[in-house]
Amino acid sequence: MLDKFMDVSGRIGSQRHLAAVRDGFISLMPLMILGSFVTLIGAIPSIINAMAGTELALPGWFSNITGMVWWGTFDMITLLVVFSIAYNLAKFYEADQLAASLVSMAAYLSIVPQTITVDSEAGAVSAWGNMSRQYTNANGMFVGIIVALLATEIFVRLMRSERMKIRMPASVPPAVGRSFSALLPGGVAVLSLTAFFSLLEYFSGYSIFQLITRFLSAPLQGAADTLAWALVMVFLVHLFWFFGLHGTNILGGIIEPLFLVMMAANVDALMNGQPIPHIVTKTFMDAFVYMGGAGTVVGLMLAVLIVGRSRQYRTLAKLAVAPAFFNINESVLFGMPIVLNPVLGVPFVAAPMAATVISYFAFAWGLVPRTITVIPWATPPILSGLLATGGAWQAVVLQLVNMAVSVVIYLPFVRVADRMERRKEAQAAQTA
Amino acid sequence: MTRIMLLCSAGMSTSMLAKKMQASAEAGGCECRIWASSEAESKRYLDDVDVILLGPQVRYLKARIEKAVHGRSVRVDVIDTRSYGMMDGAQVLQSALRLASD
Repeated sequence: MLDKFMDVSGRIGSQRHLAAVRDGFISLMPLMILGSFVTLIGAIPSIINAMAGTELALPGWFSNITGMVWWGTFDMITLLVVFSIAYNLAKFYEADQLAASLVSMAAYLSIVPQTITVDSEAGAVSAWGNMSRQYTNANGMFVGIIVALLATEIFVRLMRSERMKIRMPASVPPAVGRSFSALLPGGVAVLSLTAFFSLLEYFSGYSIFQLITRFLSAPLQGAADTLAWALVMVFLVHLFWFFGLHGTNILGGIIEPLFLVMMAANVDALMNGQPIPHIVTKTFMDAFVYMGGAGTVVGLMLAVLIVGRSRQYRTLAKLAVAPAFFNINESVLFGMPIVLNPVLGVPFVAAPMAATVISYFAFAWGLVPRTITVIPWATPPILSGLLATGGAWQAVVLQLVNMAVSVVIYLPFVRVADRMERRKEAQAAQTA
Repeated sequence: MTRIMLLCSAGMSTSMLAKKMQASAEAGGCECRIWASSEAESKRYLDDVDVILLGPQVRYLKARIEKAVHGRSVRVDVIDTRSYGMMDGAQVLQSALRLASD
């Protein structure tokens, strides 16, 4: 049973396409952090205005710049995703990464509609030679992911095939042959995908974008911004960790795209002065649930400081406090241990789930402004709450409430585990 | 000179252990280069490493890493969970050196 579980989670965690998606998103994090913070800076006057009733405004040249950076990062996110995922998948195959990325990009851009239709006073007007932002921003992301994976697969497979090599007579310099070697695989990848999606639209009447939106992204996004989904995700991540496996790493390929779509919608709303739509984002998890790392371990550390007296626990708490400040907690998980520990395993799963419920309602009821930035996951608590919400003090209160609740949840279990640990230490001292 | 690479998801928690192992190696007069890498970055080091140690939380990567180093003389193992939790640099270094000399 346990072996089976390990086997399945290992397969998910090292599945190459899921890993490429996850690593592709990880590579984009710095740009997403930049884009969201620049957008936030641009929106500061309107946030202050809404609170204080003032009429502050940034100089026009300044808000131009913040708007441009938002456009270049968040509103072009699908283009970045296509490049980045193709690059990471090609890396797995040890194939030419740049070539795979370029081919995937060309394939994606080939299937994007080239005409936009705009409603005007004179009726709908179509203009060829324009690309709508709905194909470059998060709305197109799922199609982008699919195209990047398919194009890279085709390209890499054909590059390896002997039959696809263009053979030159012996008198032609070898470098000439090499310059042609990527031509056929790349060409087939772009051409076949374009033809496939074009014919799909021709015969079904729906473009791949319409199909994916209707059957994949719309239902997923609807489901992914609910408390139920957040709880399922938190439970699974901690179940993996309980068995000593990196839960967020294993599930990253599935979770990350959804998270980024949500956050992109929030940043979009911030940019355009609309109400922030989504609650369950990656920042929600990093800032309000994973405080001190998975398991809201900050609560465990405090509980150990309050009631822990065994040598093992005190030593470990001292060792682990500095890393836990940056939400790194492997030494606690494996040293205490929490992994496969029936006593501490219970609060380890319960505390983050409680934090999820509390945070969800705090956001849903409007007690705390929703998350509008992407933050590095290693940002220390308190600071992370402020950065996540554009400086809202309510976020810090929520973090403190979550910490207090997790301490309360951990306390009785830590007391029991600590007593067991001390008994063990006393026995060891006797036999020694 | 033994080259030891530690590997985990982001290369963060293993970087602490790597530092302790390096300190332990220097104290023991053992010539070693020890560093931590994220899973995504690890591939670029495969030609310049003798031992790869996986954090226990990414033990499921072992088969994949073993496949990647196939044909090279690189040993791959998972770090003992207890030593990992206690960040016991000396202990992990010893087992790594034992592995390298096998």
